[in-house]
Amino acid sequence: MAVSSRRLQKELREIKENGTPVGITLLQADDFATWFLSIEVLGETLYAGEVFALKFRFDPQYPISAPAVQFVVDDYYKAPVHPHVYSNGHICASILGSEGWSPVLGVISICITLQSMLASCKERKPPPDNDGYVQRAPENPKKASATYP
Amino acid sequence: MSGSHSSPTQSQSLNDDINALSVDELDRLTQNVLDETASTRPLLGETSPLSVLREEYERGSATFLKQIDYLREKGYTHFRRTRGDGDCFYRSLAFVWVESLMVSPDKAFEASKALSLLESSLDSLEAAGFQKLVYEDFYDALANLVRQIASPAADGSTLTLSALLAAFQDPETSNSIVVFLRLLTSATIRVDEDNYAPFLFHPEIGEPIPPREFCENFVEACGKEADHVQITALTKALNFSIQVAYLDGHGNDGTVNFVEFQIAPPEEGSPPSPVLLYRPGHYDILEKH
Repeated sequence: MAVSSRRLQKELREIKENGTPVGITLLQADDFATWFLSIEVLGETLYAGEVFALKFRFDPQYPISAPAVQFVVDDYYKAPVHPHVYSNGHICASILGSEGWSPVLGVISICITLQSMLASCKERKPPPDNDGYVQRAPENPKKASATYP
Repeated sequence: MSGSHSSPTQSQSLNDDINALSVDELDRLTQNVLDETASTRPLLGETSPLSVLREEYERGSATFLKQIDYLREKGYTHFRRTRGDGDCFYRSLAFVWVESLMVSPDKAFEASKALSLLESSLDSLEAAGFQKLVYEDFYDALANLVRQIASPAADGSTLTLSALLAAFQDPETSNSIVVFLRLLTSATIRVDEDNYAPFLFHPEIGEPIPPREFCENFVEACGKEADHVQITALTKALNFSIQVAYLDGHGNDGTVNFVEFQIAPPEEGSPPSPVLLYRPGHYDILEKH
């Protein structure tokens, strides 16, 4: 079994036995390739009352390699308007890049980090190069050349 | 949380080494590193004669050539390359550690001692706050290899040097072992942070950095190269002495500085500690055959 399946099995068991932290919900984890979770930020923040969905994609080397993580953008979900989130759902967060990722992190710790990224936001505005990025960005955020603002 | 993805991850002493190089040397070095990170190289290679390394510098730095000749005069004959992916210290160290257990006179005893050491190291990992689900698969990768030294596998075979090399060339096994050693290094620093804190500096800006932040960013993260502090912590955790030979183009007398990371004074008649060969930004294994 790939190292990713073994690890994800354990993360899933942990979620099922102990639940998820406040504001984080497991939406779908039918296999060890793609999971969906939702996050919301509680309390008085710019995103009060909004729920966002995250799509996680894992390669067989996860957690040695970072998962591809993005906000879901479809008829139902939108990406948060945030200086580090492009309107196609791609996220600029150091922990998701090869520079900041570590196998100590996991699905839930990523959700918590993104929650706090939203909670600490002072101004609802997209990244300065949003339109250009969205036009040329590949579908998978891990394949994007990492020149974030 | 920031969006900067462009920070190079060299250590301060590494920067100093690089600053000491001439432009030609630096070009050449950069090219070497780029070639290696092209991921065509095996994660850990077959052993090659030092003459191969010498040839690579023949059109380059005279100081490096002199230093390679110095190593040959000292009786070193071969070296084993690791891929230049930032994990090379951990990978080299893991390989020479398991290899040293295998070639020891009483390998069954040494292997079982090593296994109990690994088992008890899990207490440090727990104390440092790592969850079992985070470390156990990586731990198993290394422990299984050590176990095979003395206990026959299902097919009746014990670990051979070629099987060891194959394990270190298999990305899943090899990288899992690297991750375990990173976690072990981190845990060693975290549980003894008062002792390590005075030596922890941000590798890029040189400012003191809190242990937790140092460990998260420069120990646990894959691809972050090790410097003195990490080497000290890991050799201590494994109770394993090594030497690092600095082939760094420093000095005009052509000698190579050997730094000992020694756990205890060597016992009489014990073989010399394994040697890692350092070139700016990279570690390989140095051998005598």
